Amino acid sequence: MVACWPGIGSIGLIAIDTLKSMLDAEELGEIEPWDFFYPKRVLIRNGELKELEFPASKFYFKRTERGDFLFFIGEEQPTDGGKAYAEGKKAYQMANLVIDVAQKFGCQRIYTSGAAVAPIHHTARPKVWAVPNTKDLINEIKKYDNTILMSDIEERGGQGNITGLNGLLLGVAKKRGIESICVMGEIPIYLQGLPIAYPKASRSVLEVLAAALGIKIDLEQLNAFISQSEKEIELLYDRFPPEIKEHLEKLRQVTHARPTEPGPITEEDKKKILEDIDKFFKKGPKED
Amino acid sequence: MAGMDSLKIHSTPQFKSSSLVVGWHEDASELGTKVIDYLNSKLGVEVFAEIEPLDFFPLGGVSVQDDVVQFPESKFFYSRQKDLVLFKSNTPRSEWHRFLNTVLDVAENYCHVKEIYTIGGMVSLSAHTAPRDLLAISNSVKIREALGQHYPDKGMDYETPPGQRPTLSSFLLWAACNRNIAAASLWVPVPFYLLPTEDPAACKKVIEFLDKRFGLGIDFRDLDEAVRNQNERIARVRFSYPEVDNYIKHLESNLSLSQEESEKLVKEIEEFLKKTD
Repeated sequence: MVACWPGIGSIGLIAIDTLKSMLDAEELGEIEPWDFFYPKRVLIRNGELKELEFPASKFYFKRTERGDFLFFIGEEQPTDGGKAYAEGKKAYQMANLVIDVAQKFGCQRIYTSGAAVAPIHHTARPKVWAVPNTKDLINEIKKYDNTILMSDIEERGGQGNITGLNGLLLGVAKKRGIESICVMGEIPIYLQGLPIAYPKASRSVLEVLAAALGIKIDLEQLNAFISQSEKEIELLYDRFPPEIKEHLEKLRQVTHARPTEPGPITEEDKKKILEDIDKFFKKGPKED
Repeated sequence: MAGMDSLKIHSTPQFKSSSLVVGWHEDASELGTKVIDYLNSKLGVEVFAEIEPLDFFPLGGVSVQDDVVQFPESKFFYSRQKDLVLFKSNTPRSEWHRFLNTVLDVAENYCHVKEIYTIGGMVSLSAHTAPRDLLAISNSVKIREALGQHYPDKGMDYETPPGQRPTLSSFLLWAACNRNIAAASLWVPVPFYLLPTEDPAACKKVIEFLDKRFGLGIDFRDLDEAVRNQNERIARVRFSYPEVDNYIKHLESNLSLSQEESEKLVKEIEEFLKKTD
């Protein structure tokens, strides 16, 4: 099973949705939404309420020569009190429902996907951070191309957090003894708070998933989306004030592959970048 | 039943063939709860049930508004004389579907209601001198036809714009429809510069409808007086502040104001009306 809920840069969502579409997976069922979500749209015609639409949480299925694939795509994470990511009772209930379906269909492995906020430049090829829910999967992950473990990342020492349901699902799967891996595409720290998609990281995730699942993928459409997104990010980047860009330019040299070497950017630099970006967007970029 | 653990029943009056009127806090000008308060004061009601806040509201503390502590309330009132059930509540912050089904459990299983109406104010860019409108959204043909007897059906078309969410009243209409209970939401546009204070004309518009629909026999003299009084006070502001007069004249001519002008108008009217309360 490959499962995903929305998160930063829509990285996981784009990757999983692309994979689902490429395989032409068919809708299998859904989790009834009303106990989890507030409605997202009402349609009134001629004074009469015709439709009340809720965020969807749907399962899709595809049988292939390489095996059977079950997809789960959640349009929204169930939250209490307007938080961005799921937590608490509702999130746990939803994670259990998804795992119930996975077990019912005999899934051997679950992948989830999300974003990894990293001190990288947007011109870099995003790496994929992979976190398994059992040690047994570490050697397999080490064979994936362009992929790193938490312990490969400077100053992390194998520690970290995966926010929301993309992480919680791994925990619930662990409790039920199902192997799971969360694959997270890197997004530059200065893009994390913006309401934009980052499909370049989705491509990295998709490449890892395709290799892991033994699926051939056609990236033509996604590449077109990436080209468009890169143009927009470049335009935005050009409008950053020189003092912010000076910091961001340092990120061009960042690599995670050398955990023992001091990086070209310090924690203080990271903090300063985030503060400056925050100030810049609060003030509003100047129009040309 | 949906959330009976959260329901506290104080008494069980002999309901006949009641209707339920719902007013939520936090709509424009708090019109919904003002209408319920007005009806409560006129109809001699009793509280017979309430929904406990624990599962539906964050209770990490309390908010303070106009120097006073606020606490979520969700209470059912009953007027034996008019066989009318009223529900006044804050809008829940979570478990909306369970909350609304608890309301519907009371409506259906205790009160045997045949119709539900929700009341809400919406923001209008019109001047206060324009007549108030009443808009209705129904969840069935049956109630739409019933509504048509008391007000001109405007046949509104609407779709939630991107970035916004439907109202809780729409959610209630949908949940009621799933139980085959006829329901309608009634909306009165309130001039934006009256939002921080009150709009008795909007209140009167809704009460007039409910009076006709349920034969309540309301004496409107106090509401007429409140409308007249507010109009006079705004006329005094217009006379004293030519700038305010100019803004309102713009609105009366269907012209729009800039953000800055709108904010100034809201501030001046609010200050003046609160000062002369």
